Amino acid sequence: MKTIEWQYLIVSYLFLGGLSAGLFFVSALTELFRNDGDAPKVKIAHIGALLAPWPVMIGCALLVFDLGHWYRFYKLFLHFRWESPMSIGSWLLMFFIGVSILYAYGWIPGSMREAAFERLSGHLQFLRILNRDVSGWRRPLAIVGLPMSVGVAIYTGVLLGAVQSRPFWNTNLVAQLFLFSALSSGCALLILVLAASARKFEMHEFQSLYLLDISFLTLEFFIVVPYVIHGELSAEAVRESLNLVLGGPFTILFWAFFLGLGLLLPWAIEVLEALPLLLRHAQLVPRVDTATVAEAGTAVFILRDPGGQAPSRKLHFSRSWAVAAAVLVLMGGVLVRYIFVFAGQMSAIH
Amino acid sequence: MTNRPKRYALAIDAKKCIDCKACVVACRAENGVPLGKSRNWINEELRGDWPKLMEVFEPEQCHHCEEPACVRVCPTGASYQRPDGVVAINRSECVGCRYCMIACPYDARFFRDDLGVVEKCDLCARRLDRGELPACVETCPSKVRIFGDLNDPTSEIHQILEKRQYRVKKREAGTGPQIYYLL
Repeated sequence: MKTIEWQYLIVSYLFLGGLSAGLFFVSALTELFRNDGDAPKVKIAHIGALLAPWPVMIGCALLVFDLGHWYRFYKLFLHFRWESPMSIGSWLLMFFIGVSILYAYGWIPGSMREAAFERLSGHLQFLRILNRDVSGWRRPLAIVGLPMSVGVAIYTGVLLGAVQSRPFWNTNLVAQLFLFSALSSGCALLILVLAASARKFEMHEFQSLYLLDISFLTLEFFIVVPYVIHGELSAEAVRESLNLVLGGPFTILFWAFFLGLGLLLPWAIEVLEALPLLLRHAQLVPRVDTATVAEAGTAVFILRDPGGQAPSRKLHFSRSWAVAAAVLVLMGGVLVRYIFVFAGQMSAIH
Repeated sequence: MTNRPKRYALAIDAKKCIDCKACVVACRAENGVPLGKSRNWINEELRGDWPKLMEVFEPEQCHHCEEPACVRVCPTGASYQRPDGVVAINRSECVGCRYCMIACPYDARFFRDDLGVVEKCDLCARRLDRGELPACVETCPSKVRIFGDLNDPTSEIHQILEKRQYRVKKREAGTGPQIYYLL
């Protein structure tokens, strides 16, 4: 009997799991490759680390409640079956959540931690043994967690792709698509949080995030295009399943809302905003004082060429464009998972 | 079917099927299948152009594949394959993730909302263990279903598959289905 078994809870989980993986990846990457005293990068790593554990934990709760017997979820951890992507994924998620919580804990400022443990009431005093400074573990945890975050992001696609009876999913490209979509969502949430929270709007904080997100979105685009072309050149069942996005129920959602609004538009915004940075190796020097920037919400920067010549070009950078691009990327991330989860289950070998 | 003491399989002579659905009813009674769900079913297909039309009936259920995708993807091992080739579900281990339903190329599985587990045809495994035939096979009035051990050269199914041509469904899914449709 043909039914759509995995629905919105699974779509949400796939997105939230990928989002956490992306946040951790960007945070860990930034922490591992930053220079000493690079304050903007520390800020990115810090925010990423503190945000990373939450979406995946919410997602896992949704997964558990999607089970026929939610209280039987522990049985997933009584077995390890390497042939089952779900079994591998359950274990991977467990370890990733552990590492990301520890990593986030390492980023909590010492004073805040001390204060929190001070406030513990009588019968919770035993928890004070947890009052440890693990900030020194940040880099080792980033090194351990980085491959895990890639694993979590790619696994969400493998879960779907490793099913030979659903031709819409049954290609490695789905795993890669989900990977880059996840990393890009992580970037986008960081851009959003920075843009929404920062009192001062400083371009150099966003520089690395923009360049990362542009790379991820570019890679994602060059996976979506081969996915469609390769599918059209594939066996009949695959071609038939592609009709779901080529003249079927998901066509507008896929092309206009996911590929157009959720991928190409934010890519274009980010490229236009960061274009001067991409074209030349230039440093950003703020031209106006930060107080004006805070009021205007738009900063005017001058690009100074490495040769130290006279300022050549102005760079406008706007908070609203950053927010718009980030929101669109996140929307695209949800949509692509919605389309793949539903269309995949509707596809079949005939 | 190598390396198995027994290999239970089903041959279906669909031309004899009259769509009486006695197999579906017998299965429901034997296995307590709730209304609205079914472990076996009869596909109907209209072939030809008017006025030369033909209605084709083709019973189907779990194909008890040699390399079952459902067993491979099951995260807890609740879906398993018996030594005699029957693919069955251990209800107490099933967490209800429904990955097996998605992996099955034949959509032969369904979800029991009342029990929170996945269910499907197990060729009446309990009856087999008592030496009886599956309920659908025993009840079929037009002898559409031929059940037996493929590894036993004297069995009816072994002999009929030696003589007659047959096809299996969705061979390209690569799971090695074990329902043989006689041509």
